[in-house]
Amino acid sequence: MSVKLFDIDIVISSIPKLLQYLPKSLYITFVSMIAGLFLGLIFAIVRMKKIPVLSQIIAVAISFIRGTPMIVQLYLTYNGIPLLLKYINLQYGTEYNINDVPAMLFVLITFSFNEAAYNSETIRAALMSVNKGQIEAAESLGMTYFQVLKRVIVPEALVVAIPPLGNALISLLKGTSLAFVAGVIEMTAQGKIISSSTFRFFEVYLALAIIYWVLTIIIEQILKLLEKKFSISDVHTDVQKRKWTSLFNRDREVDR
Amino acid sequence: MIKISNLSKSFQKNLIVDDVSIQIEKGEVLALIGSSGAGKSTFLRSINCLEKADCGQLDLDGFHVNFTNITKSQKLELRKQTAMVFQHFNLFQHRTALDNVKEGLKIVKKMSDKTATEIALKHLEDVGLSDRVNYYPKHLSGGQQQRVGIARALAMEPKLLLVDEPTSALDPELVGGVLSTIKATAAKGQTMILVSHEMSFVYEVADRVIFMDGGRIVEQGTPDEVFNNPKSPRTEQFLQSYKNR
Repeated sequence: MSVKLFDIDIVISSIPKLLQYLPKSLYITFVSMIAGLFLGLIFAIVRMKKIPVLSQIIAVAISFIRGTPMIVQLYLTYNGIPLLLKYINLQYGTEYNINDVPAMLFVLITFSFNEAAYNSETIRAALMSVNKGQIEAAESLGMTYFQVLKRVIVPEALVVAIPPLGNALISLLKGTSLAFVAGVIEMTAQGKIISSSTFRFFEVYLALAIIYWVLTIIIEQILKLLEKKFSISDVHTDVQKRKWTSLFNRDREVDR
Repeated sequence: MIKISNLSKSFQKNLIVDDVSIQIEKGEVLALIGSSGAGKSTFLRSINCLEKADCGQLDLDGFHVNFTNITKSQKLELRKQTAMVFQHFNLFQHRTALDNVKEGLKIVKKMSDKTATEIALKHLEDVGLSDRVNYYPKHLSGGQQQRVGIARALAMEPKLLLVDEPTSALDPELVGGVLSTIKATAAKGQTMILVSHEMSFVYEVADRVIFMDGGRIVEQGTPDEVFNNPKSPRTEQFLQSYKNR
């Protein structure tokens, strides 16, 4: 019996096997994105407010993260955190066991900081793009800084930030395929495992590629919807009235 | 009565407002005129702390602040007592006309949505925009945007309204609507300080006119005194340049 050059059945049958690890890929993506957004916002504010020392440290960290490959960063945390633990153990006589640290933690730390570095620049640019006049108008009404931030700056900045943050989310999803170097089995690692046991490398990786592609298309569509929701169309229509602000005013009563 | 005394403001080393003191009676319309760079707008913006004055005091119906060491809560209180109309309207772009007017009522005055809506609709009606309440700023003309800006300021019921070159950014045919809105506001007894380059309008609407030059008050008096019988040669020169246009 001759071996087929390309077997579409293997592509199809690989998909469910790979999808078993989809939750792990998505878990890494969303946890890192949320942590990255939160840290990124803090980084951005620290840099905008030019807080001494902290601002410089963050500038160097961002430069380092942006200037080194992700895979190298993973190797660094994977090997660096055990070193740090050993040092702490020696220094303070503690007995932390490096084997108790889940591999996932290395991955999440690396990805979160990586996202934070890139997002902070996006967030900083978006916050700075907010029209100063609108901020002054809000201040002149007697709003506190926090109210101005919540009611004017963040909503306005979001419109600007959504497309680049969406890009970051997509690259992050694909970036999770590097997690295997820290010993976390997600979809790509699973692909490696299946293919090396069946020797059907092309079919399995094709199945993997299709899954990533479909996921990306889904994210793109969601982003498009969000963008549409958050922007105001060029002509006035009655339907669109106030849908924007409804996201922020939970205490609203019925429209007039 | 509102009293502002010895207000000075400099940027880097340039003294823009130089020891200016004014008094305004309740219901009075005070107009500031002068060439660009005379310090009119900076003076106006210093009154509600959009610019931080180097020194000066303000007395607003017994509410007293010293600009040199004004606290955060004093600043908020001061801004609640005053309201501002901007040259470039500065409407919240992601909110409709109605929500622009409601914003201060709900967030600063903590009114319920229902009360805020009622008040906002009344003020939008006053400026003739009842049919535009659900429009976003970008769907309104400049003149309409400025009228929303006026409604937003008036809804806060300020003791002092600060109006900063309200028609400078408008096409000539849109100026009339905004000016008549301000005139109607003045007629209702709203105390205001108006910075404007529309001399005939100032002549018509102001109770008192102050001519500023180089950060100082050069001359003040009724519109008739300042426009028809200026005492200072600098005022005369300035007014002459307007007549020659």
